[in-house]
Amino acid sequence: MARGRQTPGVFVELSPPLRRGLAALVGLALVGVLAGGLLPVRTDVSVATPALILVIPGIVAGLLGGRLAALVTATAAALVLDLVFIEPYGTLDAHLVDDVVALVSFLAVALVVAGLLALATERRQIAEQHADEVVALARAGDAQRALLRSVSHDLRTPLAAIRAVTTDLRDGSADYDEGTRRELLDVVNDEAERLDRLVANLLSLSRIEAGALAPELQAVDLDELLTDRVRRLSRLLEDVTVEIHGPDELPLVDADYTLVEQVVTNLLENAARHAPAGSVIRIDVAETGDDGAMEVAVSDQGPGVPAGDRDWVFEPFRSGSRGHTRGIGLAICKAIVEAHGGRITVGDGPGGRGARFAFTLPIHWARPAP
Amino acid sequence: MTTATLVLVVDDEPAIIRALRPALTARGFRVDVARTGQEALDRAAVQPPDVVVLDLGLPDIDGLDVLRRLREWTDVPVVVLTAEGAEDRKVRALDDGADDYVTKPFSTPELLARLRVALRHRARSAGGDDGPAGAPPVLEVGDLRIDLPHHTAEVGGRRLELTPKEFGFLALLARHAGKVLTHRMILQQVWGPEYGTESEYLRVYASQLRKKLQEDPQRPRLVTEPGVGYRLIDRDTPV
Repeated sequence: MARGRQTPGVFVELSPPLRRGLAALVGLALVGVLAGGLLPVRTDVSVATPALILVIPGIVAGLLGGRLAALVTATAAALVLDLVFIEPYGTLDAHLVDDVVALVSFLAVALVVAGLLALATERRQIAEQHADEVVALARAGDAQRALLRSVSHDLRTPLAAIRAVTTDLRDGSADYDEGTRRELLDVVNDEAERLDRLVANLLSLSRIEAGALAPELQAVDLDELLTDRVRRLSRLLEDVTVEIHGPDELPLVDADYTLVEQVVTNLLENAARHAPAGSVIRIDVAETGDDGAMEVAVSDQGPGVPAGDRDWVFEPFRSGSRGHTRGIGLAICKAIVEAHGGRITVGDGPGGRGARFAFTLPIHWARPAP
Repeated sequence: MTTATLVLVVDDEPAIIRALRPALTARGFRVDVARTGQEALDRAAVQPPDVVVLDLGLPDIDGLDVLRRLREWTDVPVVVLTAEGAEDRKVRALDDGADDYVTKPFSTPELLARLRVALRHRARSAGGDDGPAGAPPVLEVGDLRIDLPHHTAEVGGRRLELTPKEFGFLALLARHAGKVLTHRMILQQVWGPEYGTESEYLRVYASQLRKKLQEDPQRPRLVTEPGVGYRLIDRDTPV
């Protein structure tokens, strides 16, 4: 809300018509008070004194309420001047010239003041608007920098491992046996796959940013999708055991197969990164029961997500209270799940240990055969 | 050496560990691994390593703090791994007692060379076979020969005419041959403890030294580490 420094705060908080009305009332009251105050001395002073003093209400009304309030008050002040302070008193029977001069100068002063005020208000609003834009631009810039930082970190880590291996093998000074050589090449292969997953995420991110993430829905068998993902990510999941739990007969879901694959990949990659070697990553699939949706939950036995970090763990490029970046993967999961009308949450793993990331997808209701 | 040199690799990135462990083992090192700063401090206390490879970006404790806490009780050589563009952190690590740094993505042979220099240098400064003063009276780096007692330097048998500051600069680098020295270290050692930020002096002196050494710009002995400091290398030892 715009807050003026030049005008009393309470007036700015009011709606414009109310403000104008109140300003006019204040102006008229002031005319009354000043005229009343000057009445006992009107014979002792020249007409110039009340004339000058009665300019004040118009200025005040203009300052508080703008042009209309200034107009009303200045007109009233001009009438009061003629009635009370110009002889013969009690009549409007003055020289026309005096009346016109008084009215015109009152109006002119009040209107100029109101006009200046309007100009100042407009300038202030423009300045505030600009300030908002500057803040928005700065935020966009921050997000952009955070994106670049996150992406360059995520790109560099696999590249560092790849380069360490290739420079070592090219150097040729180490005499590796066949098993070790294969193991080193596996590092290159795994890290290249990791880069590929990152590029897939970046492409999704650009689709999300462009507002072009429209899922192409089809009836998807979650069991098939999950089993396939776990098989394809077997290298990534080499040091852990993955268990899939769910009812024998799973309902199909309405989902974009490729996009949901990406959600599952990101969640498994995240779990694998934080799970201790030899531990179990558990995937639970169940009907949520209340809203016709299926829930897929990926639980690990890692350190878990601290309660204070849960609100923003799905925001892109934030790093946790432990200083660990989670990259863009989880943010992309959220965007994809929400594009399906589902929701994604994070909580404690089974038995209060580790992290449990769960997302929902709508159940596919088969149309009756024609 | 009777027992193999023990390297403690501190990095939270499993892929880096997977790449380095075989490379180090194949060169006769024993390898110990820590994934966090706390684990690194614990491992170093339980099984003191001969040299440490320390990634500065750790999930729990800042790598610079790990280095400072190590330095409270051990002068084990430490080579830090840093991300590209983090010049200030490299300099701080070196000023806080790191022996050298390698920028990620690094080449494994380069890391190995840095480890060897750090180990060799530590063995020399620990006394060992280099005489009672710790540093030998005559330093030789390739065909560069510096006679400390006589304050003379020659390259390939050709005598160099050096000012006292130039001699101090060159002798300091030669004493730490292969190792990077930060601007602050050089200024404080050669110019005095009240200096530290006047890296522009060093640019001038380095360029004068290069002229006098008749350096080949393609293969300089006196290497500038941009934003960090200088290093004197033996051109005949490949890095």
